[in-house]
Amino acid sequence: MIAVWMLTWKELIRKKVTLITLLLTVLFWIAFYFIASSAGRGAGDTDYALSSFYSLVDRFRGSAILLWVGFFFGSFATGFLAIFSSVAAVSGEAEHGVLQSVFARPIPRTRWYMGRWFGFVTFCLTYALILFVSIIAIVYQATGVHPDWTKMGQAILLFISPVLLLVTLTMLASCWLAPLGNGVAMVMLFGMGWLGTMLDRVIEAGMFASDEADKTSHTMEIVSGLIRLLIPTDALQQRMLSEMFMVKELGDEFSSRDTLGYFSIVNPPSNAFLYYTAVYFLIFFVAGLYAIRRKDF
Amino acid sequence: MSYAIETFSLTKNYGNGRGCHDVTLRIPAGEAFGFLGPNGAGKSTIVKMLVGLTTPTDGKALLFGQPAGSVEARRRIGYLPELFRYPGWLSGEEALQFHAKLCGMKGTSVKSRIDHLLDEVGIGHRGRDRIKGYSKGMQQRLGLACALLSDPDIVFLDEPASALDPVGRHEVRELLQRLRKEGKTIFLNSHLLEDVEQLCDHVALLNNGRILADGRVSDVLRASSARWHFRVGGMTPDMLDYLREILIAPVHLLPWQEGETPAWGEHWLEVELEEDEQVGYFNRLLIEQGITLYETQKVKSSLDEWFLQAVSGLEHRGENR
Repeated sequence: MIAVWMLTWKELIRKKVTLITLLLTVLFWIAFYFIASSAGRGAGDTDYALSSFYSLVDRFRGSAILLWVGFFFGSFATGFLAIFSSVAAVSGEAEHGVLQSVFARPIPRTRWYMGRWFGFVTFCLTYALILFVSIIAIVYQATGVHPDWTKMGQAILLFISPVLLLVTLTMLASCWLAPLGNGVAMVMLFGMGWLGTMLDRVIEAGMFASDEADKTSHTMEIVSGLIRLLIPTDALQQRMLSEMFMVKELGDEFSSRDTLGYFSIVNPPSNAFLYYTAVYFLIFFVAGLYAIRRKDF
Repeated sequence: MSYAIETFSLTKNYGNGRGCHDVTLRIPAGEAFGFLGPNGAGKSTIVKMLVGLTTPTDGKALLFGQPAGSVEARRRIGYLPELFRYPGWLSGEEALQFHAKLCGMKGTSVKSRIDHLLDEVGIGHRGRDRIKGYSKGMQQRLGLACALLSDPDIVFLDEPASALDPVGRHEVRELLQRLRKEGKTIFLNSHLLEDVEQLCDHVALLNNGRILADGRVSDVLRASSARWHFRVGGMTPDMLDYLREILIAPVHLLPWQEGETPAWGEHWLEVELEEDEQVGYFNRLLIEQGITLYETQKVKSSLDEWFLQAVSGLEHRGENR
């Protein structure tokens, strides 16, 4: 399994996935740093900032907006990296005739599958971790405000968890779908997660003013809930932001809707939803192991 | 007798009429077995079931008594697939190192084994180059090295020389001869019947997923009626009819090759005879009729002819169906 895991890393490095990802990330860092510096300049006087409670709240809001922007990019980048690195894991390699000689070797297929899974997941997690730390560091450097360190561990876990889900789902789907079809399907599914959150924002903003508004909102709530159950990645992102900005603890002092407008944090999922996500992950991971055992090559 | 490969009514049904049905084979250990058949006959399907890539719909297969596809069975095999590719971003050497790890091979002997195999298949120091720069023939050589990496007891080769030039084919044939002498069991799936004829002890012919014929190569060749060529002079059409009538065997006039200038009445006759003893009788008939006999040759029968005879007139699901 470790040989397969190492080979996966070597593949991602040699195919220049790492290089391209890092180059584009550096571009993001530069752009993000300038944005953050510009936004932080207004409230750059620390003495002034600490002199009043309201200015402190303003600075917190400013850093929250920057963090939201940073993690919005972060969720895109890690999500797409997770999908496209593993999109050809099974069917692509089978199409190219790589797997035929591998599966004739005396290793259980499930060990190969787990080796690939660990390879993709550790690669994407490493990237997600670097991105997470860099976003926090840039915002801290620019505004002097950092999220509560005690919440950081939880936030990191929530930020990286979509990677686990997406790699698991993409690898499972690649047991049947060709790389192109799999890529399209997974990107659409990933995008659907955003749609769910977007529907919640529309409901919360009260955009429907007609007599039928309640009914429409109710339908949208159901659809949004179903989407979250189908693909929980963006819901996890909402929970991560909610934890980081201590939405629950700050209550009215920090209204994400006032701060972030239509991009506010809405309906951060409950702990029960996190348990659901864990079960969701386990089911699809085991389904992948089962599928690879049964598949004819 | 211990059998390296045994299949019992092995069946794979893909649901579209393809696959194979009720295939029963017994291949003794240490023998070279040639698996023949037209395109789409189901040969690769059977190989895939034997190496564990595909699950049979019915029946079973054993490799040295272990169920085909089990880890124990796969420990004893080497496999060169028909359509394969190694990752282009690896070097040949790295691809072999990876496969050595999958086989559980450890220690310093792995490096020397890899170097030895790269030399043996004719890749040599180019093993350090990335595979994406390899020609098709070199990839096939690498595939062969990979199949032999773990020093397996059974080697499954699915069209091992299809991408090779005549020199490469000759080298592969020699390599397989050496393996055979070492006592390895070779399962050769090939359209190059000349290779099969030179290497294999047994052959089986598959058509539409079913075994049509099988047996020892020597028996198969002996069973097919032998053809003889006679260069004769003074032949007339009446005499040809007479010979056909009295011999009750096919007698044909062969066309002259381009550039040949035959004397008047000189012809090549082709006669199919079931027994070699009939040659003397035919010679006597010719002389009795006043025909001059210049030359007699036995045309060596080949697997090609046996193959064509066996499948002629039969429907087979080729590329056009």
